Amino acid sequence: MVVVAVALVAALALRRPELAIVAVPFALSLALGLRRTEQPVIAAALRLDDERVVERQEIPARIEVSATSSVERLELRLVLPEGVVVADGPDAFAMRLRAGEERSLPVTLRCSRWGLYDVGELEFRARDALRVVTWEGTVGEARQLKAYPQAEALSRILPPRDTQVFTGSEVARSKGDGIEYADLREFVAGDRLRSINWRATARRGALVVNEQHPERNTDVVLFVDSFADVRRAGRSTLDDAVRATATLASRYLERRDRVGLVTFGGVLRWLQPGMGTSQRFRLVETLLETGVEPTYTWRDVNVIPARILPPKALVLAITPLLDRRFVATITDLRARGFDLAVVEVDPVSFVDAGGTEPERLAYRLWLLDREVLRARLARLGIAVARWGDDTELDSALEGVRTYRQRARVALV
Amino acid sequence: MGVLALVEADDVALAAGVRLVALAVLALVAAIVLGWSPLLPASILLLAAAYATHLATDDPALDARAPLVAAGLLVTAELAYWSLEERGTIGTDPGESLRHVGVVTLLALGGLVAGSALLAVADIARTDGVAVDLLGATAAAGALLVVVLHARRAG
Repeated sequence: MVVVAVALVAALALRRPELAIVAVPFALSLALGLRRTEQPVIAAALRLDDERVVERQEIPARIEVSATSSVERLELRLVLPEGVVVADGPDAFAMRLRAGEERSLPVTLRCSRWGLYDVGELEFRARDALRVVTWEGTVGEARQLKAYPQAEALSRILPPRDTQVFTGSEVARSKGDGIEYADLREFVAGDRLRSINWRATARRGALVVNEQHPERNTDVVLFVDSFADVRRAGRSTLDDAVRATATLASRYLERRDRVGLVTFGGVLRWLQPGMGTSQRFRLVETLLETGVEPTYTWRDVNVIPARILPPKALVLAITPLLDRRFVATITDLRARGFDLAVVEVDPVSFVDAGGTEPERLAYRLWLLDREVLRARLARLGIAVARWGDDTELDSALEGVRTYRQRARVALV
Repeated sequence: MGVLALVEADDVALAAGVRLVALAVLALVAAIVLGWSPLLPASILLLAAAYATHLATDDPALDARAPLVAAGLLVTAELAYWSLEERGTIGTDPGESLRHVGVVTLLALGGLVAGSALLAVADIARTDGVAVDLLGATAAAGALLVVVLHARRAG
């Protein structure tokens, strides 16, 4: 329109009809384009094949779009939150839509990290054939997409020191009905005939029976540090901690153990110990809400409800060991007699040593400080599994397993 | 487009016109590279200004190339806007580009025909005196008013 106006004014001012002629195609385009000025009614929705996925897994979806009146060019763009990307192809589409026509556009999404995402909103831009008039807006309803953390490779878990009363997969220290051989003892009234050890009986000349260790379940509380997070190049210690927690929870629940969760940080979240598939989903969905909420408030173990930490439970702390409040809490738990182990999500690989000498010195001091902290925890009888870039979670836990076998009794 | 506008220009008009065309090209490239659409009308206006400079300075009788310049300017503007629209990854229906090429071609041809008709009318007006001249000016102002009213209603 600017071109038309300026050309016509210039034509009048300079008394040159050629300049008015220059305005003709532009005026024609405007006149034809402005003929229809009624906004089309557009309906669009994003349909996901699955609303629960594992991070980095591809999610087939389709965009369903229709319009009550004909749209010469309809541009649709998916409004995706940070962390969700279109796996293959464009995130915007342009099409011609006739009145009443319904179109379905296939699209594949991918969540680059675990979390809860609101997806489904679409921005649209409808234009006439000459692209003179444009209508813009947002359509579609946001739906929640749950991206579960990917499981880490883990063949063996960390066995708790004590077992509970229900049947499970852990061989108890106590004696009773079970499969695992424990000891021999003399026959007493009420013993089953099948438990008599005939060879030992023949040797001793008196009835001797076998004793077994029963298989029992255990209580495990996963204690996640959400005070601090170190991020670098799309990775973070909290992301890794959540992945490790989800993996450990799945492994323990597979053994019919009761698993509870405490995310300890700016916001305290907890889940009472439970077992089964439903507990697994509850646990992972609680984990998805985990984030670092900055706080300067001092928090200790007293803020955690007592029922969340049952007696004889194994407390597995998953932490980068960066926040003093979390370290104080785990030493406090140890002092209260809890069976405790730490999976340290090593933040060292996330931090550069620095370029200048003071920076390098500070880096070395920080590493030494961490060594001192680990030694202090070891003195308290808390085994620390260092899980970093160069160590698999499985190997890290194997170290703790060995430590706990050899250093079972610790004076606190 | 710059060459078409200045092909018959004398030295003075050519010197000014070349500068204007260079500016227009610069604005066009900047608009496309930076994705900043407000620069596009400026670029078209600069091209039109180069043509206007030739007309004002050289004062030819009646330039028969005017409809061609007009259609060329329209095609330039359409193609530039199109390239801006296609920035980023966007999935389109097959044949969408071809259809738009068709629409732009039809529009340019329509502009060419309408421009030629207007040129013929202007030629008659030029030879028939001030009354027709005034009529032409009134018609131009009226056309401008209609476009403004139409655009306001659309907005």
